[in-house]
Amino acid sequence: MFNRDFWSEIFMALKRNKLRTALTGFAISWGIFMLIILLSAGNGLKNGVTSNFADRIQNTYQIWASFTELPYKGHKANRYIMLNNKDIQLLETLYEVEEVSPVLSQGGTLIFGEKSKMVSIEGMKPIYKNIEGIKMVDGRFINENDMKNKMKVVIIDKNTSDELRRINNEPTMIGKTVFINGLSFTVVGVCKGMPWGDRGQCYAPYSTMQAIYNVNEYYQLTFTTKGLNTKEENEAFQKELKKKLAALHEFSPDDPRAVWIDSQMVNALETNKIFNTINIFIWVIGIAMLISGVVGVSNIMRITVKERTNEIGIRKALGAKPRSILLSIVMESLVITTIFGYIGMFLGMGVMEIVNMVMESSGAGTNNEMGMSVFVNPTVDVRIVVSATLVLIISGVAAGFSPAWKSVKVKPIEAMNYR
Amino acid sequence: MIKLNNINKTYFGAQPLHVLKGINLDVAEGELVSIMGASGSGKSTLLNILGILDNYDEGDYYLAGKLVKNLSENQAAEFRNKLIGFIFQSFNLIPFKTALENVALPLFYQGVNRKKRNMMAMEYLERFGLKDWAEHYPNELSGGQKQRVSIARALVTSPKIILADEPTGALDSKTSAEVMQILREVNATGITMVIVTHERGIANLTRKIVHLKDGIIESIEENDPDKMDFTKEIK
Repeated sequence: MFNRDFWSEIFMALKRNKLRTALTGFAISWGIFMLIILLSAGNGLKNGVTSNFADRIQNTYQIWASFTELPYKGHKANRYIMLNNKDIQLLETLYEVEEVSPVLSQGGTLIFGEKSKMVSIEGMKPIYKNIEGIKMVDGRFINENDMKNKMKVVIIDKNTSDELRRINNEPTMIGKTVFINGLSFTVVGVCKGMPWGDRGQCYAPYSTMQAIYNVNEYYQLTFTTKGLNTKEENEAFQKELKKKLAALHEFSPDDPRAVWIDSQMVNALETNKIFNTINIFIWVIGIAMLISGVVGVSNIMRITVKERTNEIGIRKALGAKPRSILLSIVMESLVITTIFGYIGMFLGMGVMEIVNMVMESSGAGTNNEMGMSVFVNPTVDVRIVVSATLVLIISGVAAGFSPAWKSVKVKPIEAMNYR
Repeated sequence: MIKLNNINKTYFGAQPLHVLKGINLDVAEGELVSIMGASGSGKSTLLNILGILDNYDEGDYYLAGKLVKNLSENQAAEFRNKLIGFIFQSFNLIPFKTALENVALPLFYQGVNRKKRNMMAMEYLERFGLKDWAEHYPNELSGGQKQRVSIARALVTSPKIILADEPTGALDSKTSAEVMQILREVNATGITMVIVTHERGIANLTRKIVHLKDGIIESIEENDPDKMDFTKEIK
């Protein structure tokens, strides 16, 4: 059936109507081209945003100090709730909580050689690196040994490191001693900057900071959890936690503010949901575009079949079976859609690969100063190519089938007498 | 070869048209029969039914001993391909195929491979003096050449029966005579032939003339074409 003659008949039919074939094909090419571009852009956005979370442990929580909104038990509204060691103790009694890392935050001045710079220095446990998704550029992060021995070590952000190196003409800051608020620290690591302001960001062991500043109140507590896998479990846990914190600090458990409880996992789930929605949206738009292409092909096939009615009648009189007529028309449509579909697909992928290359070499899309990225690797993977191919084949057959069926049904004598 | 029992056919349109009103006809193997009648007498409809290009409402049609009734499109295609050769007034050649490709087409639908069917097609073209025209497209051929190509196409599958619908209708009288001469020669090889015509001169070249009028057979006239001088002008 599908021998050389069969294909040569089809390609002859396409060649006889070059302009028409090209115009029809263009609609399909354009549809699939746009689908690929949209999907790639969506992918890029998703890759960009999720890469910000990628290094974080997903089952982490953060609690932030804040103002109350409701008056409660004789306390007025707008009272500031500071977190303290009782909160840490409370958290450590909870079954779901694995490890608490308080964040001890201090402002200060960093001095190295000729250069002084405003920094904020945070004391935290080693686990904080994964909780916050801190990315190391050089050296190491705080380790258990630092914690145990209250080592005066510090991790500085890359911008600060670059500034200090430039002014003091040093090849690296690792191993150098810097002064923060008059106390000497050894730099052990350089990390990507966090996205707030142009203040320098330093991290030191929690135990060291506690020994120096003797702080009992915190703006921020972070902890890792276990056994909280769904949104529902997380929400129930949050509610319970808030109730307990409310009892401890005497604020209303219904207070929408007072303390912020933020779950990385719920955030991730929410983000995924958003991107799934965007993805569905893109497919709907893409498919709609493709459908307009398919309708175009179907229309053209209808005209082709009409023009070929006589020929089809003759073929039937000479003994062409319905299957051969049906197949030749459906295959003709399929050939148009797949050939031009692939042209569109490869053009789209090519364009996005070029965009990707340009972005990677110029660093566009990722904001280096803040370490945040919004657009990373905007390309599509093999699965999408396979599903787009399936879509093309289905649409090609769908476009050709109705006109083909019509030509099969017409009586040979009517077809031959058709003018 | 052909046996028709009380064939009825009505076209259902805005006004139902009863075209064939009970046709009974026998055509023996090797016969050369013409069907004559004014336009609207139903002669083309009858030929279409004989060729399984159209269906009929009532009666029975036996072709080569087989009942042709309520056939599936597949069976009909097979019957047409194996048993019947068609010759049309307007030739019905496929315009974008060469003479050779046109003649080879019925063999394509029989699944004969390209080499063999081109060889067979060339044989038939040669027989009708068209060897040098094999690679020409229909619009590069004269009317007589086109009809000879279509005769070659009708014969290439070695059918049992040739059905010709006004085969000389689009030709001048000289070419008509040539084409009729060819058809008579084909008939002489034993192939049954039914020719629809409204020209007495053509009918006179057949052995049996069926006169059709208003959907019924008015009379069947025996004829001896050998008395005719077919080289003479027949119009």
